[in-house]
Amino acid sequence: MKDTLRWAYALNQWNVRLDVFVRHEDQQRALKTVSACGFDTIELASGTGRWDNISRPEVILLNHGSHQGFLDFLRRAQVRGVSSVFWDPQAPTEEEEGYAFRSTANPADADAIVEWSKPFVDFVAGVGADQLVVRPVGSAWMTPPLDADGIKVVADVWNRIGERTAAAGIGLALHYDCLGAVHTHAELTGLLEATDPATVGFALDTAELTVGGIDPVAFYREHADRVTHVHLKDTRYADTGEEYRMPGAESTMLKGGAGRRIERWFYELGTEGGLVDVPGFVAALREHGYPGWVVVESDHGGNPAELAMLNSWYLQRVLGVAK
Amino acid sequence: MVWTKWSYMDHWVTETPQGPQPPSFNRAYMDRYVKQLSALGFTGFDTFFFYLPLYAGMYGGVPGFERFLQDNGFDKITGIFSAYPSATRYTAPHVRETHDRIVADCENTLRMCEGLTGVENFIVMPTSTHHQTEPVTDDTIKVVADLWNRVGALTLQHGMKTTCHFEFWGAIRTREQLDTFFRHTDPELVFFFCDTAQHTIAGVDPVQMFRDYSDRCTGFHFKDTKNVDEHEAYRTPPDPELMAPQVTRWFYEMGEGGLVDFPALMKEIVASGYDGWLTVEHDKAELGGGSYAEATAVAKWYIDNVLAEAEAEARAELETAR
Repeated sequence: MKDTLRWAYALNQWNVRLDVFVRHEDQQRALKTVSACGFDTIELASGTGRWDNISRPEVILLNHGSHQGFLDFLRRAQVRGVSSVFWDPQAPTEEEEGYAFRSTANPADADAIVEWSKPFVDFVAGVGADQLVVRPVGSAWMTPPLDADGIKVVADVWNRIGERTAAAGIGLALHYDCLGAVHTHAELTGLLEATDPATVGFALDTAELTVGGIDPVAFYREHADRVTHVHLKDTRYADTGEEYRMPGAESTMLKGGAGRRIERWFYELGTEGGLVDVPGFVAALREHGYPGWVVVESDHGGNPAELAMLNSWYLQRVLGVAK
Repeated sequence: MVWTKWSYMDHWVTETPQGPQPPSFNRAYMDRYVKQLSALGFTGFDTFFFYLPLYAGMYGGVPGFERFLQDNGFDKITGIFSAYPSATRYTAPHVRETHDRIVADCENTLRMCEGLTGVENFIVMPTSTHHQTEPVTDDTIKVVADLWNRVGALTLQHGMKTTCHFEFWGAIRTREQLDTFFRHTDPELVFFFCDTAQHTIAGVDPVQMFRDYSDRCTGFHFKDTKNVDEHEAYRTPPDPELMAPQVTRWFYEMGEGGLVDFPALMKEIVASGYDGWLTVEHDKAELGGGSYAEATAVAKWYIDNVLAEAEAEARAELETAR
């Protein structure tokens, strides 16, 4: 995309299960799709195991030999680089002490999680990406509500990791999601205030904030100085009944319809009935001279190629961005 | 200069609440489909004659549908595809007694195109299936040629060229049969439409075919194949495209290791001075778990990168030769 904003596309919508999106030729087709849609930069999302060879740093390096080898692989499809890598230290993985189920909300886990960040920091720096984007805390239904002390425990972990990312010359961005234990406007603001603005930024996801009941445009205007990364996507629904607290909310809410028969929460830009004011949000980014990446995402959606093309259409025809 | 006249042939299947369906499923799916083609940069749209009433219903007339295309960056509807793949007692191009009916059908299709910006190609399958037509003699081909000479004169009155798209399973498929057909048709009335995969499967080199008939060529279907028909699959009744025992999927998008030499064809097109539309077609792209959407994006990537380079090389060679 030819624009003053820097646009990238998230690959997570292709990598929807453990055993898919593994063969290099399938990955090349996805990369070509993204490229044909006008995006030359991608975001990766971390997973685990031998089949996550386009998301787990150690496995990527096993497959491609080096950071440069991986970049060469991307460039075969005219994708020039990586904007960012997403990492959730709460997600169970075999690499990090073999499914240790640690949490940033548990002070006893802090040292281990800081150590776990090392391959991600190295990889983001190694491929020349800008941001390590992280899930700051696990799901709300799994932990007691966080008070100010609890938020400080979480923040301390990220302050320590922020020192490492800063030393490596990359950014660290805390990503809000609608299931997280940092959920309300006050909790989110509290987390940002408890982290070091010099080393810890905020990854604003327009749909996740909207589902969580926070207006992304207003939040951006309030905290533009802290926003170092953006995920741009739409939603048709907000969590109107504290559905994020449902036991097993990843399944019961995001996939099970939250008792409201909602089959899908996240949508492509321009979707009918979308709640996100996408033009207003992008205008706000421009007003503030936002310098970071805007990653278009359509996770938990349908056919990834269809959604990528529809997102590209929206950028070109509604936002007026030249391909 | 980069080739801008890329059109898309209206084959597509998408997931709907009622299973995989063409986007003509309803207006919302149709809008999404057009937007996706627009995002990739296609500016022409070819469609089948049998979709025209559906689109008229959705968009308040076929011109209304074309306006929707134009609102999304398309130039216009570029081609209409008409065909009688199965011979019936009413319509069979090799049976002279059915020609009046076929001509009447074509008149109906032309009426549905009234008010459009300017459809350029009236694309036809010259024959029905080989197994229904055989034996294919010179006389058979002459009967078929007479039909398309009539239709060619008719469509020209509406500004469209009747252009013949040959199937590997059709009755005119070998190079010798193709040459015979073009000898029997009037070069002012009947033109050549080059489907790269169909010719390749039939054992005909599409690049050589274009080289030899470039003066009559008015369009292309850029699609690939990984198989030449080596088992007379073309004779499989009732249909070799889906029922050939040896090959379950014949057609592939460009850039997936197929047999067609697209860069060579692109260079030949540039060298010939051809300035018409180049059309991407996917047919049965869903076989084996494929997706039309991804196939289309991958094909456009191939155009934007590999074919753009071939085109640039050909233009540079032309410049050097001047």
